[in-house]
Amino acid sequence: MIVEGTFTFQGPREAVWDLLQNPDVLVKALPGAKRLVRSGEDRYEGVMRVGVGPVTAAEFAVAVAVRDKVPPQRYALDVDSKGAVGFTRGTARVELEALADGRTRLKYTAELQVGGKIAGLGQRLLDQAAKLMTRQGLEALNQELRTRLARGSAG
Amino acid sequence: MTGPRRYVGERVRRNEDARLLTGRALFVDDVRLEGMLHVAFLRSQHAHARVKGVDVAAARRRPGVVAVYTAGDLGDFWRPGPLLVPPPPIPGLLFNSCTQVPLAKDKVRHAGEPLAMVVAESRYVAEDALEDMTVDVEPLPAVVDLEAALAPGAPLVHEHLPSNVAAHVVQRKGDYERARSGAHAVITRRLRYDRGAAAAIENRAVVAQWDPRAEELTVWDTTQAPIPIRNGLAGLLGLLESQVRVVAPFVGGGFGPKIMMFYPEELLVPWAAMRLGRPVKWSEDRQENFYATTQERGQIHDAEIALARDGRILGVRDRFLHDAGAYDPYGLTVPINSQCTLLGPYDIANYDSEFTAVFTNKTIVTPVRGAGRQHGVFVIERLLDYAARQLGLDRVEIRRRNLLRPEQFPHNHEILFQDSAPLVYDSGNYEPALDEALRIVDYERFVREEQPRLRAAGRHVGIGVVCYVEGTGIGPYEGARVTVEPSGRVRVATGVGTQGQGHFTVFAQIVADVLGVDVEQVHVITGDTREFHWGTGTFASRGAVVAGSACHAAAVAVREKILDLASHLLEAPKHDLELADGSVGVRGAPDSAVGLGEIARRANPLRGAVRPGTEPGLEATAYFGPERGSTANGVHAAIVEVDPETALVEVTRYVVVHDSGRVLNPLLVDGQIHGGVAHGIGNAFYEQLVYDENGQLLNASFMDYLLPTATDVPPVETAHRETPSPLNPLGVKGVGEAGAIPAGAAFAQAVEDALAGSGLEITEIPLSPNRLFELIAEAGAGARGR
Repeated sequence: MIVEGTFTFQGPREAVWDLLQNPDVLVKALPGAKRLVRSGEDRYEGVMRVGVGPVTAAEFAVAVAVRDKVPPQRYALDVDSKGAVGFTRGTARVELEALADGRTRLKYTAELQVGGKIAGLGQRLLDQAAKLMTRQGLEALNQELRTRLARGSAG
Repeated sequence: MTGPRRYVGERVRRNEDARLLTGRALFVDDVRLEGMLHVAFLRSQHAHARVKGVDVAAARRRPGVVAVYTAGDLGDFWRPGPLLVPPPPIPGLLFNSCTQVPLAKDKVRHAGEPLAMVVAESRYVAEDALEDMTVDVEPLPAVVDLEAALAPGAPLVHEHLPSNVAAHVVQRKGDYERARSGAHAVITRRLRYDRGAAAAIENRAVVAQWDPRAEELTVWDTTQAPIPIRNGLAGLLGLLESQVRVVAPFVGGGFGPKIMMFYPEELLVPWAAMRLGRPVKWSEDRQENFYATTQERGQIHDAEIALARDGRILGVRDRFLHDAGAYDPYGLTVPINSQCTLLGPYDIANYDSEFTAVFTNKTIVTPVRGAGRQHGVFVIERLLDYAARQLGLDRVEIRRRNLLRPEQFPHNHEILFQDSAPLVYDSGNYEPALDEALRIVDYERFVREEQPRLRAAGRHVGIGVVCYVEGTGIGPYEGARVTVEPSGRVRVATGVGTQGQGHFTVFAQIVADVLGVDVEQVHVITGDTREFHWGTGTFASRGAVVAGSACHAAAVAVREKILDLASHLLEAPKHDLELADGSVGVRGAPDSAVGLGEIARRANPLRGAVRPGTEPGLEATAYFGPERGSTANGVHAAIVEVDPETALVEVTRYVVVHDSGRVLNPLLVDGQIHGGVAHGIGNAFYEQLVYDENGQLLNASFMDYLLPTATDVPPVETAHRETPSPLNPLGVKGVGEAGAIPAGAAFAQAVEDALAGSGLEITEIPLSPNRLFELIAEAGAGARGR
């Protein structure tokens, strides 16, 4: 499965970069994320609860390794998640582009292998679900960004 | 006097239906025993991965869990399953036997392969315990595409082998190259047939109970082969065969996957029942069925036909790849069926066929209704369609010119069939079957009047007419025991299992005619090894042919005993006696008649002397083994209407003319054909198992895997022709797969015809509205490009 798209953040690139590297922020923003902690240099572990279509939401143990990091321009993520209803594995690439108007365009491309029940039963809905979850997560991050920037300018 | 009533050949209503329709028939899932435990299996999510460990500690601690087993817990019981069907002795044949294991140990080779077994107080607890387990795996690249599987450096499904080749087989007759060099036209095509599911209404189920006092293991199993299961289980569990009773009660559809033997679940449930001393049950759920029950076959054919100017086939060459799946316990039955059935009803003097069976990281492939025969039919029928077009011949004419003629039987095709016997057609009369199908579908009128009229009105209607043969009724043997009880009722026990075919009726008809009793007085028992323990199973359209002939032989032996005793009793020579209406009497002297129950009582006296040399009771056991299979044949004609905008296809008429030798019961034969056609239409236009490049099945539910429904299957118009088989006393041939085998070929031809002129070529099955839409668009683009 390939998930790709762009999203424009209402803020500068450095601020977006910081946000994306902060597990405490990410755990609040990502739909279904229940826990996300740093487990080492550029490594994170967590738990997500995800369901797709007829597959009832179930927990996935998620491990993420960040690599090819070029702050604040781009990085790649190796994602490995597994649970009773399936697994996903693959790599996501994220690029941040500073726009002239002070906003930031994020471009993402993820190539994921999906297996187990979630593939066999949810395949038809998987693309939509992945797009929806990504969009919701990015919207939430954008909201957090605006809150932070507002707080910063107020203080 | 009109003589005794005859049942064979009549539309006798089914003896079993009262039980089935009122819910009194026993299915395995109905078996509920005191203290019974329930099983769930942990199955691999990965299609191909090295297994580093399965952590079951938390599952074992869950309340209600009685036991959890992984491969390491099975000890000596862990071993690869048997090779069920050793390949025929074809010279130069290469076969790598890699059979399935009870629980994956070091490596998983397809998604759904079992890794651990939970036994718990309820299925709910067992399923919950699966979520307590973690599997540590190292994923490996999956082998999915057949051609990529054979490329140098491809990942290996079985690492002890040098490649993913499961088998390589060449069979030849005549000299194809020479035939080709003198040909007027040579036509080549690449033809594909993809995977499907058998999708029986009832999934698999096993219940096992060990009785320590009787020292007997009873296993209820949805198998098509209860006797081999009993014998195999006894061997593996260290029991006498007589200590194991396997019951295959009513089974909701077999279609082939239930002849696959020693599925992991089938071994582990009885093993656990003995180990735990409690009854154990496992019922497969539908999702498991999509992964764990064997599937239909994917094949890619590169085929070539060489023709004379008049359309006579000079020869055929075919090179094909066959997807075996992760293991090959069923040997080469399926690809050999494809190889042999390609020759069809045609006189093909030169044939050069070579196939490579390929291991892939997908569910195991074993026979499913048709068992590869449809692939052969699809290839030859498509080639003939293209040949007719190229030579400017009518599709019917090219077939007619190539049909084997009555005087050519028995016809030896000079290659070996799946049963290791030479492919010899026993009998046949093919051209009248073609004519009858054309008459019923009114071919001439459709082609000359109706189609042009509808086309002029902007409608896209087409017709398909295809011929086929079906190798049926193979050995080795079956047996039956017939007993006349003192009540006058007759009991027939046979070893084959039943999955809805009508065995309780057709065997009763055969026996009723021999003994002159009412068909409803004949009580048939199938699939219980305590009742009969010699035999092989229900497969290859052989029940009526082989078990039916055994029932006949046993009944004839009982009839002899009746005549012997009655002759003595009535003081009349045997040839003056007649069996009718449940009695035996002197012909022309109705007052002399004595009921068969009375004869049975006299044959088993409590006191006095019996005549030396006689056996007590009216009972006999007999066996029948045909020298080789009998070859049925037929013609399917379909009329379809295609909506080119939506690519939906409506099958408006479907005609089947079938010759399965002598018809024992037209009602049952019609039923087999109707069901088969539904299966075949599913194969043609609805059912496809879609795997992604990682070996993940993407449509593992009936939401996404489409079965044809009642509205998708047209009324099937059938006609029976009867060319008796010389290979059995009843003259019968099998009919179980005839409806399914040619449907894809008929459908493809009809859809192409409906869109004639568009450049559309259908070289793959199954289609779907989606796929057909793509093909129509491609053909349109091609036509515009020209």
